[in-house]
Amino acid sequence: MNHRGGWALIRRTWASWMQYRGFFFLLAFGWMIPPLVYLFVWSTAAGGATVGGFSRGEFVAYYLVLILVNQLTYAQTNWIVGDVIRGGGMSQWLLYPLAPAYHVLSSELAGKVVYMIFVVPVTAVLAITLKPELHASLADVLAFVPALIFAWMLRFLWGYWLALLAFWSTRADALLAVQDALVFLLAGQVAPVALLPGVLGRAAEMLPFRYMVGFPVEVLTGQVSGTELATGFACQLGWLAVALGLTWILWRRGVRHYAAVGG
Amino acid sequence: MRAYATLIGQFIRASVQQELAYRANFLISLMHSLLNAATGVLGVAVLFGQVETVRGWDLGATLAVLGVYLTVGALRDLVISPSLDALAGMDGEVWTGRLDFTLLRPVDIQFLASVRHWRPFALVDLVIGIGVLVAAAARLDAAPGPGDLGAFLVAFGAGLLALYAVLLAFIGLTFWSPGFLFSWVFSGLFQMARYPVGLYPGWMRLALTWVVPVGIITTVPAQALAGDVGPGLLAGSVIAAVGLFAGATALFRAGLRRYASASS
Repeated sequence: MNHRGGWALIRRTWASWMQYRGFFFLLAFGWMIPPLVYLFVWSTAAGGATVGGFSRGEFVAYYLVLILVNQLTYAQTNWIVGDVIRGGGMSQWLLYPLAPAYHVLSSELAGKVVYMIFVVPVTAVLAITLKPELHASLADVLAFVPALIFAWMLRFLWGYWLALLAFWSTRADALLAVQDALVFLLAGQVAPVALLPGVLGRAAEMLPFRYMVGFPVEVLTGQVSGTELATGFACQLGWLAVALGLTWILWRRGVRHYAAVGG
Repeated sequence: MRAYATLIGQFIRASVQQELAYRANFLISLMHSLLNAATGVLGVAVLFGQVETVRGWDLGATLAVLGVYLTVGALRDLVISPSLDALAGMDGEVWTGRLDFTLLRPVDIQFLASVRHWRPFALVDLVIGIGVLVAAAARLDAAPGPGDLGAFLVAFGAGLLALYAVLLAFIGLTFWSPGFLFSWVFSGLFQMARYPVGLYPGWMRLALTWVVPVGIITTVPAQALAGDVGPGLLAGSVIAAVGLFAGATALFRAGLRRYASASS
């Protein structure tokens, strides 16, 4: 593996993305709004009392953490992978003396840096004006770090195997849009998963989407502990293994199937 | 006037012919529309599964706001956005200088820029939006009478005019900064129109009603449907919409005078 070349590619992508930072700031701004809408709606609903065990300040804390986690785990690279396969650019990726994964990783890391430059200060200003109540113990923080890393890996790989379907179908993008909608509904954006009613709540706990965004947020805001925490990590790692397996299989078969444009 | 109507007819025909070449897209955009509406409705349902009312807004009234949001959004996607967005961005007509060819046409440029491109698939969103609106009207405490419906139509028209005016103003700014996607900023803020402005904190409520007139676009029509709008607010939103339209037109024309094709 040529890691030095890979690192150079990451730096190059990062530098070129910083040139267009205005554009990426705009994208990040657009992605921040939906969780922000629910932040305001739920904290207004709570008012001076509590809703489903959350006070106003706790809703604010939950959604501010969610804005950061959502941005950190969002893998927009997967949309690019689909385009590259469809447009034939994959030929170029395969010819580089590098693992093709570096191309994906480079735009992933470049994106995270550029988006965070916008999202972190905005969230900080919101935190100062909206007065969140975050009671995170040291244990919560320690559990949050792996939960966040696994969440990113899961959301990334889950989108990646969906994007790899572009080897066979030109319409694979539609599945990414479905995934975005399901994440919006079931991963704790519309409401914290604990507040989802009946079937919706049970589905959210079983399906992988909660473990892409909502779970780390719940960990940091102190909503899960003990056995719940262990079950959560088990589900997260289980789905991660599934995503890893699917990615592996689809990549190996897809590359053999790939015939650039015109095949 | 007849000529303008014929032109619109021709634009629609050309757009339909273009879109019919991509029939498979219909299923995909149908799925998008359904998902979009479903997540919106479920979001409202989850909220009112936890609380009865929020600042006087109950399930029916909030659903009505969502219905107006989806309907207005569909009309925007049907013609306003596809037409106006052709001007903005890095490959837009202002940046590349293709606006030359548009300017040469013997028709009013603002008219041409506003109705050129249609997206017939948005009709699906329109049907869904109206469906949500009807379902919401059935859930309101007092069924809307003819007076309420009349007030709703006036408020809805004013809201649509305000939306068009804001989008036109943002496109007008393109002449000062051709590469910046001003309409994206508005699209982001417009998502706040899903919920009644009353659910936002005080300072934001003022900004959302009068600065980015999200309140006039979705909240006031929904209130009119529920019979909660006095003649004062109704007249106020009509005046605001007409004022916005006049201002946006002036801004657009001023921008147009700055246009110097693709040269510098």
